[in-house]
Amino acid sequence: MNTDFPKAPLPLPRAEDVTEELAALEGPPVIPAGLRRTLFPVITKEDVFKMLLSTRVDPAKVVADFAEAYREYVGAAHALPTASGTSSLHLALVGAGVRPGDEVVVPAFTFIATAQAVVAAGAIPVFADIEPDTYCLDPAAAERAVTERTRAIMPVHVHGLPADLTALRAVADRHGLALVEDASHAHSATFDGRVAGSLGDAAGQSLMADKNFPVGGEGGIAFFATADAHARAVEYLERHGIDYGMSWIVAAFGASQLERLPYYDEIRARNAARLAEVLGETGLFSAPHVPEGRTHAYNMYRIGLHPDAVGLGDLPVHAVKEVVHELLVAEGVPAREWQNTPIPCHIPFRRREGFGGGYPFSLNPAAARDYAPEDFPVTLSMLSSTLVLCRELRSPVEYERLERYGHAFAKVARRPDAIRKLVGGREFPLPHAKAARLG
Amino acid sequence: MDHFDTAIALSRVLTSGVIMSIERNDRELPALERLLRKVSGRTQVVLVNSATAGLHSALAGLRLGHGDEVVAPALPDAHRRFLDWLGVRVREDGTPAFAYVSPTPADVDRLGPLLTTTAGAPAVVLDLTGLGFGPAAAVLFDDEDAWRRAERLKIFGTFDLRTMWTQAETDEGVGGVQFNYRLSPLVAACVRMALTTQGARA
Repeated sequence: MNTDFPKAPLPLPRAEDVTEELAALEGPPVIPAGLRRTLFPVITKEDVFKMLLSTRVDPAKVVADFAEAYREYVGAAHALPTASGTSSLHLALVGAGVRPGDEVVVPAFTFIATAQAVVAAGAIPVFADIEPDTYCLDPAAAERAVTERTRAIMPVHVHGLPADLTALRAVADRHGLALVEDASHAHSATFDGRVAGSLGDAAGQSLMADKNFPVGGEGGIAFFATADAHARAVEYLERHGIDYGMSWIVAAFGASQLERLPYYDEIRARNAARLAEVLGETGLFSAPHVPEGRTHAYNMYRIGLHPDAVGLGDLPVHAVKEVVHELLVAEGVPAREWQNTPIPCHIPFRRREGFGGGYPFSLNPAAARDYAPEDFPVTLSMLSSTLVLCRELRSPVEYERLERYGHAFAKVARRPDAIRKLVGGREFPLPHAKAARLG
Repeated sequence: MDHFDTAIALSRVLTSGVIMSIERNDRELPALERLLRKVSGRTQVVLVNSATAGLHSALAGLRLGHGDEVVAPALPDAHRRFLDWLGVRVREDGTPAFAYVSPTPADVDRLGPLLTTTAGAPAVVLDLTGLGFGPAAAVLFDDEDAWRRAERLKIFGTFDLRTMWTQAETDEGVGGVQFNYRLSPLVAACVRMALTTQGARA
């Protein structure tokens, strides 16, 4: 049987894990090879049972029931289930009134789907920098990007932390713009007690199976604050013959996962808090910042590096990051960069071919700008000085695995001497000087 | 396809734990691709999450986009509206640029012969939605470059998220709009079960 049941348990962590030689220098890795796989999503007998029951139900009802249950959980007024997060963002923009040739302000740091959804809507993404502490769209930068042709601002609750929606709503209101959330990382995340996806004029959200709230493979959902916005999106699909429909199989899995989402959220929050404690003691690393009044969903966990705190302040931070990244991976921690280039500098936004012949950029040439990485200094600084964990905090990450992750960070932070030695004599191109990475 | 077959396919994939299209260990999407190559005799298959995604991918494969004209085969009215949304003008005269096949469950026994009628078409959009597992389609090519462009359209230009996450300046087909048209392995498993249990094996 092809099963995801673990083949062997991970041994309990030991205090000496932290003091042994680095794995990159021939010491024992904190997490042994063969025991590094992180399973996600958690698939249980309840998922199988519900899936089998759904085969006897009208497919349209399976999808509609799922969408209604999740809409109620989020607290949004209206919902439209879709085949992907990208399509949900496309429809959120359409519902919010975005039309061909309009400009939509988006952050320079996000997954590329945010900006491609704007292009799908026939609009032009206009990029603004992020805040240095939350990595979400900077309201002041967003306001500077507003022109007479701007129709909407689309902040991204990046990694699962809601953007500053109070400030962004104020910007939107001052200029008569729609506020559209990209909540693709932010399932169950809250801002002033309200769940992400329910706060904007519209919202799009990925539900693909690598997100904290997974459906059965690929899926998404758009939320709308008004019946008019919802109707606009539905009519758009019909008028243009676009099939963005969600499969009933995908929805059935989401329906059973939704019942356990609060449990998984609690495990993830607990793991994030525990790891923050450990990182806080290392000096070299810091946990994500969460402003008061917001809860972070930790779809990803972006860790800051502070070389000066361990006597490495004279070295380029991106070089320290690259070496630390190698050391962590050698210890068995699957840390990632998760992007290395501002999105406006990715090929589709440099070439701007769009649907062909430059459409829709050709509708609004003034908005179709040539951006340079240096236009986004906060994004560049973040890309140079942070590393990311993705699935590593999610249930079913066992306590012993989480502790071992902590041990690996502590072990690496104890060795500034090794980091300095490994940095020495090597060339380290800036992250954005390499081929653009999507994830 | 009866409910038992569906239940077996779904339980098998759920037990494997691999339900994401970008999972390196996914076996369902490659297995459906293999089956469709065998049934159609085509060398290249792109799996997508709807018939309209299939139309878009076929056009991308054929280098047709906004502002271009295409001789399209007989299509449902909604699909015509979709081509219009893409900015592709449809002409009635001439040889169609691609074929369109939309089998129902009653057709799976004769899918091979149905696809034989598309021989010579540079691309075939095979709408699998009618099999009953939700929106699904495949685009069939014999041209590897066409396949690559279509594959890139569906996964943000990355060609193969399972192994490669970077975009390079030299990659063709990464300069324009990109979508997530990826098909779920659970859906692919059911489609394959439907095709294999009812005889479309050759």
